[in-house]
Amino acid sequence: MSVFGLLRPATVTDLPENHFVVVHPLDDVREQKVNTSGLGTMPMTASVKLSLMALRGYLIVMMLLVLYHVLDLAGVFGPPVH
Amino acid sequence: MMTNEVLSISTAGSEATLPPVRGRVVRSRWLFSVLTFLTVFGPGLIVMEADNDAGAVSTYVQAGAQYGTRLLWILLLLLPVTYFIQEMVVRLGIATGKGHAAMIYQRFGRWWGMFSLVDLQLVNFLTLVTEFAAISLALSHMNIAPKLGVPLAAIVLIIMVLSGSYRRWERVTVFLCLLDLGWVAIALKVRPAFGEVVHNTFVPGIPQGGVTASLTFLVIAIVGTTIAPWQLFFQQSCIADKRLRFSDVKWARLDTFLGAVFTIVVAGCMMLAGNAAKMHAVTFFDPAQMANDLHASSGEFVRSATLLLMINAAVLGTTAISLSSAWAYGEVKGWPHSLDMPIRKAPGFYLTYIVCVGLAAAIVLIPGAPLQLIILGVQVLAGIMLPSAIIFLQLLLNDKEVLGQRFVNRPWNNWVNWTIIIVLFILSLILAAQVAAPNLFPAS
Repeated sequence: MSVFGLLRPATVTDLPENHFVVVHPLDDVREQKVNTSGLGTMPMTASVKLSLMALRGYLIVMMLLVLYHVLDLAGVFGPPVH
Repeated sequence: MMTNEVLSISTAGSEATLPPVRGRVVRSRWLFSVLTFLTVFGPGLIVMEADNDAGAVSTYVQAGAQYGTRLLWILLLLLPVTYFIQEMVVRLGIATGKGHAAMIYQRFGRWWGMFSLVDLQLVNFLTLVTEFAAISLALSHMNIAPKLGVPLAAIVLIIMVLSGSYRRWERVTVFLCLLDLGWVAIALKVRPAFGEVVHNTFVPGIPQGGVTASLTFLVIAIVGTTIAPWQLFFQQSCIADKRLRFSDVKWARLDTFLGAVFTIVVAGCMMLAGNAAKMHAVTFFDPAQMANDLHASSGEFVRSATLLLMINAAVLGTTAISLSSAWAYGEVKGWPHSLDMPIRKAPGFYLTYIVCVGLAAAIVLIPGAPLQLIILGVQVLAGIMLPSAIIFLQLLLNDKEVLGQRFVNRPWNNWVNWTIIIVLFILSLILAAQVAAPNLFPAS
């Protein structure tokens, strides 16, 4: 049996002193979170943009390298030499 | 510049605007705090302990078998690292109520959104294959045919999420996390030298033989297995799904911290199990074989518990990793994506989970599947992806437009996090160099 019961709004809002109400997040009224809908992409300085471009290049090269290495180990390019 | 104000209306609005809520009135602030923490508790423990998955079991016992207790201090060092990374996820998830994939898509554009999603799905899927490979291995050592046990495990994993209740899934998963306390029992049973364990946990030292290539890669493997990219996506989505409130931040932080401590303790116990193999001169290729070979010296309990906990680790890893994939895909596609929804209301979300679990289980059952190549792929791709994933997290946590002053990183957060990112990048580059030119790193 759950220790949580149905509480009327008045019970929640007009609590006597030293009384506290515990509500599970999923049972609580939905909170209004920060509104990100109209923000679009993040404004960045030139150095951050450049760093992300470098990161993009690094990741593409590494992914290709891993693919080559795995195919090499799988013997796609002939028997492994090492 | 537009800055969002944080607005909270939960349990504090007027009677006219609030419907009845399910809750409990208590007369003690202490009891209120304990009960509130228990309602928030879950995502932090799960994200941390699920990372002690099959691959982690393998890595930690191997570390123990090769170097005894000498690498325990690395785990202690990783405790704050893993906490600080996941704490950022907590703030981002609670402030936005959105998952990590959705935020990357929105704030960094389509290319990075797609890259993160595809990379996550790829690494996650390969990891799932390794989880089922571990289940298959452990089952075969328990004389249960993998052809029967692996599909059964997949069905159980699917049933776990299909109840349409977040709470039910969370309770089951937290229970599975707590079962990992069995590793503590194993560690006590194999009777390590207590003084040596304490010394090597708190006093950093290099094992005999110095810094070799094999030690370097084992350390990279330990770091890589303790902090994984899917964790960022999982915890943020989990927090969004559980609808944690602004007032829950401190409890979610505590949940994450306790989860980190629990995970590091369990990881340490796995190393002690490996240490027992070293002490008894047991050589092994995988933890299941280690469990079998330790039977003579450590008894039936150690053998059975290790095999069962291997399966538990894989089950935990599978449910968390598959969910991180399903949540991320649902967020980016704009599909309904909640464990609190029945399957008819979120078919795409549940289908993604089912396909991930089902396909990974099926691959393991294919005779001659290249499992070693898959394990290698997982380690390398995760190692490459992790630093870049944390960079995006760091940039998002400095995004005042989204987070406002309340949740944005403080200067000391940035110092700590950039230090972590630099170290991870160095480890990633070493890993990259090893992939590019393995002959530069002779086995030692």
